[in-house]
Amino acid sequence: MISLIDVVLGLGVLAVTGLSLIPRSRLVMTLGFLVLGVLIALVWLRLDSLDVALAEAAIGTGLLSGLMVWLAVRSPLPPGAGAMETSPRIPWLRPVVGTAAGVSLTLVLAAVWLRAEHRLPEWRDAAEAQLPDTGVEHQITGVLLAFRAYDTLLESGILMLTAAAVLALSRDGGLSAEGSHRLGVHQIAAPMPPVPSALSWAARLLAPALVLLGLWLLFAGSTDSGGAFQSGAVLAAALILLRASQVDLSGFTAYWLRPLLVVGVVVFICAGLIGPVLGLPWLSWEPEWAFAAVLSVEVLLTAGITAGLYTLFLALENPEGVR
Amino acid sequence: MTFPQFALGALTLLPLLGAAAAVVLPHPARRITGVVTAVVIALLTVPVLVTVTSGELPELVLGGFDAPLGIHLRGDGLAAVFLGVTSLVGLILTGYAAILPKSTGTFLSATAWVPGHPGFWPLWLGCWSGLNAVYLSGDLFNLYVALELVGLTAVALVALGGRKSWEPALRYLFVAVLGSLLFLAGVGLLASVTGTLDLQQTREALGGLEDPTPALLALTLMTIGLGMKVALLPMHRWLVPAHSSAPSVVSPILSGLVLKAALVVLLRCWLWAVPVLAGAEWLTWLLGGLGTAAVLAGSVLALRQDRLKPLVAYSTIAQIGYWFLAFPLLLPGENDDAELASGAYGAVVALAAGHAIAKAGLFTAAGFLKDRCGTDEIAALRGAGAHHPTLILAMGLCAVGLLGLPISLGFTGKWQLATAAVGAEHWWLFLVLAAGTLLSAGYLLRGIAPLLMQAEVDDNTPAANPVTVRERTGELAVLLLGVATLATGLLGAWVSTMLEVGSWW
Repeated sequence: MISLIDVVLGLGVLAVTGLSLIPRSRLVMTLGFLVLGVLIALVWLRLDSLDVALAEAAIGTGLLSGLMVWLAVRSPLPPGAGAMETSPRIPWLRPVVGTAAGVSLTLVLAAVWLRAEHRLPEWRDAAEAQLPDTGVEHQITGVLLAFRAYDTLLESGILMLTAAAVLALSRDGGLSAEGSHRLGVHQIAAPMPPVPSALSWAARLLAPALVLLGLWLLFAGSTDSGGAFQSGAVLAAALILLRASQVDLSGFTAYWLRPLLVVGVVVFICAGLIGPVLGLPWLSWEPEWAFAAVLSVEVLLTAGITAGLYTLFLALENPEGVR
Repeated sequence: MTFPQFALGALTLLPLLGAAAAVVLPHPARRITGVVTAVVIALLTVPVLVTVTSGELPELVLGGFDAPLGIHLRGDGLAAVFLGVTSLVGLILTGYAAILPKSTGTFLSATAWVPGHPGFWPLWLGCWSGLNAVYLSGDLFNLYVALELVGLTAVALVALGGRKSWEPALRYLFVAVLGSLLFLAGVGLLASVTGTLDLQQTREALGGLEDPTPALLALTLMTIGLGMKVALLPMHRWLVPAHSSAPSVVSPILSGLVLKAALVVLLRCWLWAVPVLAGAEWLTWLLGGLGTAAVLAGSVLALRQDRLKPLVAYSTIAQIGYWFLAFPLLLPGENDDAELASGAYGAVVALAAGHAIAKAGLFTAAGFLKDRCGTDEIAALRGAGAHHPTLILAMGLCAVGLLGLPISLGFTGKWQLATAAVGAEHWWLFLVLAAGTLLSAGYLLRGIAPLLMQAEVDDNTPAANPVTVRERTGELAVLLLGVATLATGLLGAWVSTMLEVGSWW
């Protein structure tokens, strides 16, 4: 059953994990992390989970690596040169306790996991039976935007509030600059670290392709793998690339960032309110107009996710100035 | 759909809508949005409380998709009690923050740190939405999402306190995320052996399972994860810096409300999701032991503090211990009958609800003094009481609740716990309760008494500056919390009847 590809992938994941943890240079760790992300996405593909692979590649690897590259360029050496402080009296204590705890945890978890009688999820049949009422054809999109829309709504709320926290910790506390409607965050004015000119033109070349890919992922989501989260991650990556190659995005940030951030959640809640107005439970959508509701919620959620993830990137700039 | 069912969904989604609106509004409009949303939430709590009091269980099937496919919201007794307490405390604190914007933290303008943080409003409304979502959720994964919403906004709220609060906030973030991941691992394990995420269906499926080991491991993982979030003794170190460096209106939110969310999830796991397991006794005794240690060590550490806010924060750690003392009594064993267990459960809920109100009041008072005098060193605050009689009265009332003197929910809780302990012949519990009460009398006296002393150099203390009308109104808000501490003490019987609705026994 276990093919050679799986063994190689498994060993590769272990090796690259070491590479992204042990070295003391942030640049090497970041590169290790990037490769790890690619390998993990491949692992998900081998497990036939295209949706998880897409999410992993877009958010786990793409965006997180972007943040880490920025950090590695700004301050290549981690504080304390990346090494854990050893306890002064008994230097071997921490590694030994850590290893023992890790080994016993793995053993207990593995033993229980292997011994337990696993059951298939009980919602499979119900999901297939009720999918036609949701207006979408892809099961995962159905789960995200119909069956468990409440979870998705709270999660988009989390992303919106994370971005709100970033804005709150920016200069001017996320308010407009005095006497104007421009968002007064300091990051717009802060210069980006210098990048090679090749990146600059590559980013301009890539941006339209990324936007196209993002939109395709968004609209494919109703029938095939993909959806708001993956699409939002790709679109945010396009924005980050453009900003990294010093394209002027200050107008977009100043006027559009906050409205885009909240529009997805607001429209989602308003769409959820249609149910109670018609005497149905919260978040229920009649089959006749379910597709329209799901599609508009998904498009605007994508806008919110794009803005939210891009705001997280803005958080990297220290509001007190570069130290 | 009935109105209480509408209220169940609206209690979570309307504050989230308010938070979204607050993100795009200017600062004064954010304050108005916050106050209006708080009033609407408080009004929406009423139909749920009325329904539960009449003995019915309001339940909402979101989207019309039944479990295990969809998510159920259940407003049972536990949910109703904490919804009520959160609406009461939340409404008063919202009013306090709107009257005294200085208490919401400091932000960095182009040139200097400015008091009055506009970021407080979206984050607080989001946190409130998460709290209500936790109380009402009937689904394990949804509990995780709601808990994340609470945890993330709570961390961000701590960070509003300015430069000094960033490090405690980051530490809090790490602990909160690690706790969530452990909880999620437990949820995943349960789902893989039961095939469902709904709380009731999980319990039924686990009841039919022969091998209790996966459920026990899942329960252990979830308990450790939630123990981190609730700051049970060996996992408590993050709490004191986070709660004492947070802005003065955020500390009462964290100590009074956010900790209760983790406690509610813990009770949901132990009493609703998982049936009585054969091997779980040692875990209950471990929790009972840690609770004892928390009561004693937390109180002793509180006695040794020189500053008011850390003192109140350590008192929170001691009070957390009381909730865990009852765990050995919670699961009916061989000799004990179910009545004892329900008594112990009522004690935990009463103690936690009473703590939410009393600690919110005491922390707001401590923050008020810190904002006004620029320091919370107890020695420097000597004599401040002469200028703030209302505040001192409020602090005294809250102290009654924290001590567990009649009439307060703290007293009801301790009484119920002692009764259950007598029934189960756990005499050691008396010793812990008595020692805890004596020690808390000591640290509360240490915190409050100096405020009443004659200041050494009169008229020179910062507290002697003229008190503005806004500050007087803020003091009244704290007094309201103090009065509520005593008034809720009369509602012990009502709480017990509410807890009967949708209970686990």
